[in-house]
Amino acid sequence: MNKRYGMSVDIDKCTGCGACMVACAVENNVPPAGAGVTGRKGITWLRVYKIDNGEEYPERRSAFVPMLCQQCGVETPCVHVCPQQAVEVDPATGIVGQMPERCLGCRYCMAACPYHARYFNWWDPVWPPGMEKTLNPDVAPRMRGVVEKCNFCHGRRHRAQERAAATGQRDIRPGDYIPACVEACPTGAIRFGDLNDPASEVAAARRQDGSFRLLEKLGTDPKIYYRSRREWVRQIAEAPKPGGKENARA
Amino acid sequence: MTTRRDLFKIVGGSAVGLLFTPAPWRLIADSALWSENWPGIPRPARGEIRTRFTHCGLCPAGCAVRARCVGEQPVSLAGVEGGLCPFGVAGHHLPYHPARLKQGDRQAAAAAVAAVSEAHGTVALLDLRPGRTASWTYRRAMAALPHGVYLAPEEPAFAVDLAKAKTVLSLGAPLLDGWGRPSRVFAARSGFRLIQAEAVESRTAALADQWLPVRPGAEMALGPAVAAARSDALQSRDREGVPGAETNNAPLAYGAPTGPGSEALQSRDREGAVGAGAILDAPFGHGAAREGAVGAGAILDAPFGHGAAREGSAGAKTNAPLANARGSDVLGRGALRSRDREGAGVAQITGLAQEQIAQMARELRDNGPALILGREMTSEVLAWNVRVGAWGKTVGPREEAPVPHEWRKAAPVTPLPQVADGSLQALIIDESSAGARIPWADIQPKLAPDAVVVLLACARNGYAEHATHLLPTPVYPEALDDLPAPVDAMASEFRLSTPLVPAPEYAVDPVEFVSALAGLDAKDALRRRADAIHRAGRGRLIAYADGKSVPVKDLKPEEFWKALASGAEWIGEESRGPVPRIAPAASPRIAPAAVPGIALAAAPRIAPAASPRIAPAAAPGIAPAAATTPPDAAWPFFLAAAEESGGPLVSPLLSKIYQESRLRLGPHRAALNPHSGFAEGSRAAIETRYGRRIVEVTLDAGVPPGMVLVAGCGAGLEACRVVRI
Amino acid sequence: MMPGRSRMRGKLFFLGGALAALGAGWAGFPRAIYQSRPQPVDFSHKVHAEKAGAKCEDCHAFREDGSFAGIPTLDQCAACHAAPMGTTAAEKRFIDEYVTPHKEPQWRSYARQPENVYFPHAAHVKRAQLKCDKCHGDEGSAGHLRPFEQDRISGYSRDIWGGQGRPAMKMDDCVDCHRRSLGTRAGQRSCLDCHK
Repeated sequence: MNKRYGMSVDIDKCTGCGACMVACAVENNVPPAGAGVTGRKGITWLRVYKIDNGEEYPERRSAFVPMLCQQCGVETPCVHVCPQQAVEVDPATGIVGQMPERCLGCRYCMAACPYHARYFNWWDPVWPPGMEKTLNPDVAPRMRGVVEKCNFCHGRRHRAQERAAATGQRDIRPGDYIPACVEACPTGAIRFGDLNDPASEVAAARRQDGSFRLLEKLGTDPKIYYRSRREWVRQIAEAPKPGGKENARA
Repeated sequence: MTTRRDLFKIVGGSAVGLLFTPAPWRLIADSALWSENWPGIPRPARGEIRTRFTHCGLCPAGCAVRARCVGEQPVSLAGVEGGLCPFGVAGHHLPYHPARLKQGDRQAAAAAVAAVSEAHGTVALLDLRPGRTASWTYRRAMAALPHGVYLAPEEPAFAVDLAKAKTVLSLGAPLLDGWGRPSRVFAARSGFRLIQAEAVESRTAALADQWLPVRPGAEMALGPAVAAARSDALQSRDREGVPGAETNNAPLAYGAPTGPGSEALQSRDREGAVGAGAILDAPFGHGAAREGAVGAGAILDAPFGHGAAREGSAGAKTNAPLANARGSDVLGRGALRSRDREGAGVAQITGLAQEQIAQMARELRDNGPALILGREMTSEVLAWNVRVGAWGKTVGPREEAPVPHEWRKAAPVTPLPQVADGSLQALIIDESSAGARIPWADIQPKLAPDAVVVLLACARNGYAEHATHLLPTPVYPEALDDLPAPVDAMASEFRLSTPLVPAPEYAVDPVEFVSALAGLDAKDALRRRADAIHRAGRGRLIAYADGKSVPVKDLKPEEFWKALASGAEWIGEESRGPVPRIAPAASPRIAPAAVPGIALAAAPRIAPAASPRIAPAAAPGIAPAAATTPPDAAWPFFLAAAEESGGPLVSPLLSKIYQESRLRLGPHRAALNPHSGFAEGSRAAIETRYGRRIVEVTLDAGVPPGMVLVAGCGAGLEACRVVRI
Repeated sequence: MMPGRSRMRGKLFFLGGALAALGAGWAGFPRAIYQSRPQPVDFSHKVHAEKAGAKCEDCHAFREDGSFAGIPTLDQCAACHAAPMGTTAAEKRFIDEYVTPHKEPQWRSYARQPENVYFPHAAHVKRAQLKCDKCHGDEGSAGHLRPFEQDRISGYSRDIWGGQGRPAMKMDDCVDCHRRSLGTRAGQRSCLDCHK
């Protein structure tokens, strides 16, 4: 039976600490930003956005929303537009896999992605001297001129598969395959699992009342389910027309 | 004769022929291979994947860390009992940090201190992370020197148990953002209702069950208000002092608490709790409103003849927040009298509605066990907790892990305020582990002219500019050290931060340096400590590799040490102690300081901003200038610290949250309310009495008007102004 | 000049050029593009297989977590070769230059793939039950390590198959084998299965 790997994010638990962002960069060999690099050109496969209810002090209330590749379902915008077939949806896992080695850097996919979840390597990666010793051997560093994004920590999936093969198991154990952001989150706001497995946490979270996906009306069928008890958070997720009181600031 | 045409034919033929050879295809493939793997791009090292355990040394939380290593090199870190903070996740990068200190003349520094010692000068050591085994070594070293003094910031001798709490009132404590041991905090989170009283809508406030937006600095005013609203049952049980109204407002002054930890409580109380006014007439006769004196306007005629606020360091709790002193002072004596139980005064000071405060107090009373947390866990905060009946439930004494007997004759802990001005000829500061921030302006007066200041640090953004000798130390995954128990550990703990990578040649081990100065052999201090713990026979050892918990009695000393040195943790038993007694205190007559709008008419002198501790670039500190008269309406803003900065060095990868996204406030930014009149992204200068820092403005409606948040300054409020540039 | 002759002459030159290019491409190009590099030690698989009774997996083992250890490290060799076990000069040089100063030999791996390629030995050896010689050739009977022909531009080895001379560095060869053995459907996998 094919898997559909997905996540559930509890916005009411996210403290906006940023541990997930840093853990993602550590796991996937994302280099630190050079001087003067801002959010526009920086690479953060996972980015936590701060949103608020648009009120003034002291009625202002904030929330933090971790944004990563939503791993869209069948109608994946980036897959549709890529001239190089450098990204594809894996039918066996549902993961939208980005192959920087095929990418020619046209950035059409970055324009197509409604979630701004794709990042371009404007420069060759540079680590401070000595720090390259801390690179993760399971993920290849990218050269400049290619787009990259979250692949649900494919390096960890590879390791889990090796472990399964070594112990003679048919399938990987769920506990062996945990993306770096999920492992790093101190509050447990992000959970990961197989949406097709009714017993998994994410499948249960998805069935809960109040769980929603971002920009659902676009029909991208993403696999990241968010939830919050706060109504204004849900309203922002539906992304009302600009000019409204809602602010989503990076 | 061959013509040009023939040549073309030959060339054409060759081209076609070449296509049928591997040459062009090989070259295409090669250029692709070469371009994807050119020398500029580093290749990760390959090797066997090993797992090692340690404890994170970046802050006293000391989270348990599982390091994934390629061979011997850590390549990623993960928490054992939950997640890690963003600083801890990238902690293994620190040895390679470009801004790391790499040079220092050890011989010169040692000689300078030795010279002072020989000339009978006072040599002091400031330990910014007390409570470690290293701290004991320092104390022994200072005792061995003819005139050695051991200085350290205050440590609460009681602990807090969140797991037992049902309602938590946090007075500005960043409970969900780097407080205590986060894995423990988040494990307990669903068990209690959190009320966050804070001026700013911080991360904790955003996720609290209720956020009480109080005026800047006024959160401590809520403590007595809550403590006053005790249930009748508690009142009748109250045998400490006079039951009834008067005791309600008596801030804590210790009678003679007994039981374990009581000496610590007593002695600490001697040093003066935060908010100097809190201790009025401790039975030891000196609870004067000495240090940490509040704003000039607040104390009219304290019975000790202090009169106006005295300049001096901001209390034994060196970073006494503004209202900690002011609020409790005012409320402790003036505003909260028996006839003021409705809390009108409190409401005025905090800006909250009376009913809101009353309701909160009721909730704490009825929905217990309750817990009150302050930004600093002072004896005042303890008193309020005792009042709401938290002692023995969510608050209790905590002992230190057992210590070898022969160490007991070590130098006592001297709080900085007790040191006479100009009396230190040499000062050694151990800044190698991130700990308390004591503003330089508090330390400077204690130094004699031309004092030798030896700073043991790994980065330049602390006291480095004031040091006469700077020595580089090992950095987190290189150093072997133990961690003090965080405030939310009810039982004593002993855990080591074990070295994952070797320290470089140039690094000077602070403990070794100091003990060499004193002629003390302390190389195996940690082993001796472990042996002492083992001898005491209590507690259990938890090894993370298999998660098993073994009583200490069942282990041999070598096994115990070996396990600890591989990253295991020893947990002692929780101690019990009688409720500390709260003695009544005579209330001097004090008029509440007028609170005109937001700005204070007489803003008190509070800890000035220390140099920021955020790498890579060390932002210029707000250096102390000549002391001026207390600030006035010319300084219309409150300057407060934004979130924690993770220590003197943070991995360059933290650019993800400081620079490539604006999730956290970086060292060169300041957050202001949108109605402050500044544009987003504009540059401004923040000026205090101590200096000036240029920042980039970020607008944030979670910051109240009249307040500015800056990362990496001292904990406490300062009066400042913000100037467009 | 007669037209027929010039056409013939043109064709001859064309053909001549083509033949020259073919010759250069097939014979000369490999010699130019590949550079033979020596291995640090003249290791004999045959000796170890016969005399020491070693099988492939004795030195090239899987670790517990399923990852493949690849070429053995110095510690494994030194376990037996702390002192000379035979009389060859190669062994003596090995001990003098590597074992004694504890210097790790920089072996040149024929099968080394670019960084973005993920080849799991566990899936091929343990799941698919492939034998070592299917991809690496019959190393066991080789008295010497075959020459490492390094591509001057990309730095990779000319082949990984032993002795069959067919270069097998490119993805096409992997895909080929997958298709043949697993069938077109099953052989089609997702990119991230084999790339990292």
